[in-house]
Amino acid sequence: MVDGLATAIIVTSLLVAAVSGVMALRGHPPRVGQLAGLVVVELVLLAQAVTATGRMFTGDRPDQLATFVGYLLTALLIPPLAALLGWSERTRWGSVIVAVACLVVPVMVVRLQQVWHG
Amino acid sequence: MAEASRRSWRAGTGPGRVLVGVYAFFALAAGARAGWQIATRLSEAPVAYLLSAVAATVYLVAAVALARPGRRARTLALACCTFELIGVLTVGTVSLALPEALPRATVWSTYGIGYGFVPLVLPVLGLLWLRRARPTPRPATSAG
Repeated sequence: MVDGLATAIIVTSLLVAAVSGVMALRGHPPRVGQLAGLVVVELVLLAQAVTATGRMFTGDRPDQLATFVGYLLTALLIPPLAALLGWSERTRWGSVIVAVACLVVPVMVVRLQQVWHG
Repeated sequence: MAEASRRSWRAGTGPGRVLVGVYAFFALAAGARAGWQIATRLSEAPVAYLLSAVAATVYLVAAVALARPGRRARTLALACCTFELIGVLTVGTVSLALPEALPRATVWSTYGIGYGFVPLVLPVLGLLWLRRARPTPRPATSAG
């Protein structure tokens, strides 16, 4: 885990969540900007996953390795799932899906940090 | 008319699609965890781990059933939500009253406290939504 990347994921994700929340309140379905936001979140998540995996092979691994890997894989799947479901729902509820997903990602990242630092 | 009737039976749109997403997430999260635990250390707490696997399976079935249109899918979704509600209430109570029965945490332990009580809220929301998205009675000609 790189704490800088974790912070970047949390900030980006919360930003996309806030925008999506406003869009949902205004009754708008997700727009390309929100999808782009999900892509950015996913890319930073992937960067985090790659560095964390690299570190695990050099001996710096968390005590609860299984929990960590499980959380990491689940976190990586959230943005694609949100993009698919959110984009297919052309109502305000599509924006709700993106917002909820982008609130879950920071929770997952915080849990990942807790597990990593033991 | 037929289109309207089809749409009204479809629980997996609008707010329903948010539920589909949350159910899919829970199937993923609980399933990955249970799969790993069963594969590596089932003997430690077989009841707890198998229970997590059952919960994960029900979440998956609920997600698919909610996403699919039609009366049978709706019945299946109702059954899943009911099962979950009974499950989380039963396991939650057992985990508090007889902690030694479930030595390892499950998704449903202490009413889902490890998951922010979402496992307790989710079936209630599911049942409420299915109730609202109930197909309106239609003339016999448009049945099916």
